[in-house]
Amino acid sequence: MANDASSLATTEVTRAVAPPRSARWLAVPLLAALLGAPFYLDTYYLHAIIISMIFLLPAHGLNLIVGYTGMLSLAQGAFFGIGAYVSALMAVHFGTPFYVNFALAGAVTALIALPLGIPALRLRTYSFVMCTLGFVVIGEAVVKNWVSLTRGDMGVSGVPNPLLSFGGTGFSVTTITGYYYLYLVVALAMTGLFYALIASPAGRCMIAIRDNETLAESLGISTWSYKLLVFTISAAFAGFGGSLYAHYLTTVSPLTFQMYYSTTILIIVLGGGAGTIRGVVVGSVVFVAISEALRVAPESRMIIYGFVLLVLVFWQPKGLAPLFDRGLALLRMGRR
Amino acid sequence: MGELVIEQMVNGIIAGSVYALVAAGMTMIFGVLRAINFAHGEYYMLGTFSAWFVITRLDVPYIAAIALAIVITVAIAAVVGRLVMQRLVTAPFQSGVLATLGLSLILQNAIILSFGGTYKIFPGGWLEPVMFLDISLAEQRIVIVAATIVVFMALEFMVRRTRMGKAIRAVSQNTECCQVNGIDVERVVLGTFMLGTGLAALSGVLTGPINVTIYGGMGEAITLKTFAVIVMGGMGNVRGTLLAGWLLGIAESFVAGFIGLQYRDAVGFVILIAILMIRPTGFFSLKARF
Repeated sequence: MANDASSLATTEVTRAVAPPRSARWLAVPLLAALLGAPFYLDTYYLHAIIISMIFLLPAHGLNLIVGYTGMLSLAQGAFFGIGAYVSALMAVHFGTPFYVNFALAGAVTALIALPLGIPALRLRTYSFVMCTLGFVVIGEAVVKNWVSLTRGDMGVSGVPNPLLSFGGTGFSVTTITGYYYLYLVVALAMTGLFYALIASPAGRCMIAIRDNETLAESLGISTWSYKLLVFTISAAFAGFGGSLYAHYLTTVSPLTFQMYYSTTILIIVLGGGAGTIRGVVVGSVVFVAISEALRVAPESRMIIYGFVLLVLVFWQPKGLAPLFDRGLALLRMGRR
Repeated sequence: MGELVIEQMVNGIIAGSVYALVAAGMTMIFGVLRAINFAHGEYYMLGTFSAWFVITRLDVPYIAAIALAIVITVAIAAVVGRLVMQRLVTAPFQSGVLATLGLSLILQNAIILSFGGTYKIFPGGWLEPVMFLDISLAEQRIVIVAATIVVFMALEFMVRRTRMGKAIRAVSQNTECCQVNGIDVERVVLGTFMLGTGLAALSGVLTGPINVTIYGGMGEAITLKTFAVIVMGGMGNVRGTLLAGWLLGIAESFVAGFIGLQYRDAVGFVILIAILMIRPTGFFSLKARF
């Protein structure tokens, strides 16, 4: 059982921890290209990249569950929504600075996820999938009906622009370029944090659980606490993403709990390649930024996502990551 | 008060019959494939849309539309079954979740793209009121309950007595053994899938006149409720599904009537999670079948 759970993730531990060497020389020009983007890209394309950075955070979270512990969760959409509401309500009612909202969004979401994870993680395979789907439906019902807090179906609108204040001075991010740099910093920092987590001893324990849960348990790894930790951390990542979402779109409504969000996050992780960081980054660029930039209608995008899922299941179970690596290897050979 | 209770019970049984019809197919498909069909509600939607299409565009009477809707849906399901479902026989559980999730996205959005995302009015049906237990009900509602009981009796007979039914039960118990014994597992899977989607389509056409408005995304809500029903009934247990469907319908109807309509759609998932925690084999199975 433990082995089939890993069929969608890479099994080689070393590859999962460190990106292949071919990716490293690419990092510098890529970073330069990202930093310079506002100077040569149209605002619409900046918008597309911002949206993909928003989705990158919950995708990192799901990647931790799917790629590093081998469980399949659909609850990311719910935690994303909760994070968005926490951030929006804080900003609207208390006018707190962005980093406070951002941190609280993650913390509150993690606090909600922890007690939910305790019963849910006793379940396996499809029971766990259905249970996590249940969290999304129940989350939507709560948000719709707790009108005194969330304003129900009307949602919370007029979320202020992200306020950055240090000591006495403060300024709001209002331009799209400002948003781009703020979110780029956040996305890079969170990706770095994720990398640190995976490379840590705890990360190795998670990989051990994915590859063989029984063996991991017999080696003295407390699999149950690690799974709960993974579930909670992944929810916090989704909450962080929700915070970015609330501040960028400036409105939050129960629509955030639609299946659309959970599905998009799932596609990014599985389509990019579960169990790899670069896979998720590539996935968010390909499935969100490019489709946003090409202005694909939502319905057509969903149909494409559907076919992508079928292709992934039957022909390319490791997602785009192996193709990406092969492309890089070819590039490197061409350079020599 | 008493009258209100009876009214909620009757409404619950009607709604529950719809769930049970859809869930019967899902639970049988789970039995033979060990896969949760996330796209099952889409066949309910396809059934309703096919009927709507033949009634409004081709001017077919409602009774013929019922048959046509089932034929159209099962034809689509045959293609899907051949290309996707049969491949899932040997696949791990995630493949089933992801492939059917993909199918659900494709079917739902293809319908929205071809017919537009707006709500449509479903014409036809038998809406004359009749009195039943001092409650005035549209004939259509009685037809739904009657059809459900007939379908479940037929299913019970098929599963127990016919060759196809025995093959379905055998595959549900042990796929490898069936392959060794010369049962064509892929054919059984395809047959079960077509039967299950046909039932979902029947449920869709029969509820069309009651729901009145139809739209491309309507299948998703039904899929979600069906999960609760199949878990309550015990996954793979056809008889338990009918009781579970009615139970969910009644529970929803009481919550809607006495607590608040807006909480209705969460009832199923609260029950689902509770059962997964406390009694994962369902209410109506004596022992775990899987």
